Amino acid sequence: MSYGYIKIGSEEKAFIAKVEEISGQNVYSCYQCGKCSAGCAFSYKMDKTVNQFIHLIQLGQKERTLDANTHWICASCFTCTVRCPREIDVAALMEAVREISLRENPEKVRIADLPKESLEKLPNIALVSNFRKKTG
Amino acid sequence: MVQYSYFPGCNLKTNAKGFEKSALAVSKQLDAELVEMPNWNCCGTVHTLASDNLMKRIAPTRILSRSSKHVEILENSPKEVVTLCSMCNSTLKVVNKDIKNDESKLEPINFQLEVDEEEYQKDMEVKHFLEILRDSVGYEKIEKSVKKPLKGLKVFCYYGCMLLHPDEAKIDDEEMPAVLEDLSESLGAEIIFSPLFKHCCGSYHIVDQEDIVNTQVQKIIQSAKQNGANAVVVACPLCAYNLDAQQKSMEKQGLDKELLPIFYFTQLMAIAMGEASNINHFEEHHINPEKLLKKLKLI
Amino acid sequence: MSKAKANSKPKDNVSPTVRIYIMGEAKDVPASLTIMKAIEYAGYKLTRGAGCRAGFCGACATIYRKEGDYRIYTALACQTMVEDGMYLTQLPFVPAEKAKYNIKDLSPSAETILRYYPEVARCLSCNACSKVCPQDLSVMDYVQYALQGQIEKATEASFDCVSCGLCAIRCPAEIPQYHVAELVRRLYGKYIQKYPETLDKRVKEIEDGVFEEGFKEFMSMSHDEIVEKYKARDFIDQKKK
Repeated sequence: MSYGYIKIGSEEKAFIAKVEEISGQNVYSCYQCGKCSAGCAFSYKMDKTVNQFIHLIQLGQKERTLDANTHWICASCFTCTVRCPREIDVAALMEAVREISLRENPEKVRIADLPKESLEKLPNIALVSNFRKKTG
Repeated sequence: MVQYSYFPGCNLKTNAKGFEKSALAVSKQLDAELVEMPNWNCCGTVHTLASDNLMKRIAPTRILSRSSKHVEILENSPKEVVTLCSMCNSTLKVVNKDIKNDESKLEPINFQLEVDEEEYQKDMEVKHFLEILRDSVGYEKIEKSVKKPLKGLKVFCYYGCMLLHPDEAKIDDEEMPAVLEDLSESLGAEIIFSPLFKHCCGSYHIVDQEDIVNTQVQKIIQSAKQNGANAVVVACPLCAYNLDAQQKSMEKQGLDKELLPIFYFTQLMAIAMGEASNINHFEEHHINPEKLLKKLKLI
Repeated sequence: MSKAKANSKPKDNVSPTVRIYIMGEAKDVPASLTIMKAIEYAGYKLTRGAGCRAGFCGACATIYRKEGDYRIYTALACQTMVEDGMYLTQLPFVPAEKAKYNIKDLSPSAETILRYYPEVARCLSCNACSKVCPQDLSVMDYVQYALQGQIEKATEASFDCVSCGLCAIRCPAEIPQYHVAELVRRLYGKYIQKYPETLDKRVKEIEDGVFEEGFKEFMSMSHDEIVEKYKARDFIDQKKK
């Protein structure tokens, strides 16, 4: 395992500020108790658990944050939000990272590539919410 | 007789027709009639959590404004818009609170709505039909109108996320809710508890990450079965679709033989209150619930 | 106000002029012209962006702003008079792919709409489309009806669409509304609209030669006789019948 230094310069601070602006949350409120990750129904699918993900944001690591799949696995069920002892809207942090990603790259889901059969089969509630969360 | 301005949402017109028709029928029987508001648009199903995105708040605001006008022509109607779908309910509730508390958001949205001759006056409340049944109709009245108690039906009440989360939208205690249980009990069904009553079904991941939904549904259904349920009751068309269709595909893959039929709470009400069975549109379901109902001599 | 207005004192027999800006270039044109005629008056030859010149074909979509006004206005160039201080450009074509399908294989439902135009699910209900529609249609409403699978209502609401494409260019969800509307109307025509039984009857009458006598009589008439006959024609009272 190799170690590296993490610098928190202007780029990192700008990322933290953007996440805080979009989400309306203070990322430094988080004291890393891990309750969010423990209660998350999808932790097993995430390459960074929710609290690890928030830690990356606290350190302004934009690239590593966006590279994680955490915010794309999150289904906005708000279990973390209602349970956070620091009253952070964790789901809003996830949304903020999704927004930042989509504003640079608006197609997490490429609608044109979805098979026609499943478009026909799926209820519109699924399509509407998916496109709202995964296309910009 | 009280009439409510009712916002259907897209799915109740497409693949959850049974949910709507059964709700309309029982609402009439209970003197709390749901009247569809004219000219409604899709609410967006999920509310945006981005503080700077006003565009995605326009649709719910327009619904609230149009519903406010609709209430004027109804009988004894409170200033409430009623939903059946729990995603619509959550979206409308959160946006309603958001713009009521933040003039800097409402003002530009109203400016956009001006051209459509709409202006939201912050005068509406959003209610889920379950709240109306609990708080305005009362379980006693429901119990009295039961003609055919749901004897033998062992229901697992699956809330999903959106009835209980987030705080602005919850209709009951988020860790120990009772509204679906109380309702099912007053219809004569047996209540089966499973700890996964609000374990997310995977929601909109069904479109591009079906494996997630598959795993979630397996866990939820298995737990319900282990606790002895023979049916699941829900209030969300997306939960219903995921639980229903994924079980069916598991059966096709040979992973599961014993399937739990999925009911909307209003379908159970319609059966117990003696409405015609065809309004439930069971043919829309992937797992046909009629087999179980016939076995229990409920239809 | 603009220079044009201050300078142009209408003389007898000379129509007043207004100053418009065609793709940024100032042109003084008679105020009595439509946008399309004004563009031609100013010396441009329209090779695209002009069709029926009667408000039906939707080829002459135009976008404009007015002096001192931030709003974007839209119009069909053949149907709208020029105004002083118009900044305008033509939009002869809107790029959008039209779905390919065999109408016989479809069903009149939301599923069909979402299969061919899944982007309809991205609609934000912002109503930008209705605001730009030169036909004053409730575009957002018919897109929403389509999403809800209410094909009949969507058909009614979109019936006067001329497919100019202005809605599609303003849509933040990038929906080609006018193509969706066309699919909707085709579904309506194929699966919902009642089949006119009288049509078969009339076709059979024509085939059986019921009208041949009458036509022969007309063909042998002189011009004056036809005029005479036209003037003396008798209306059948439809209600009585």
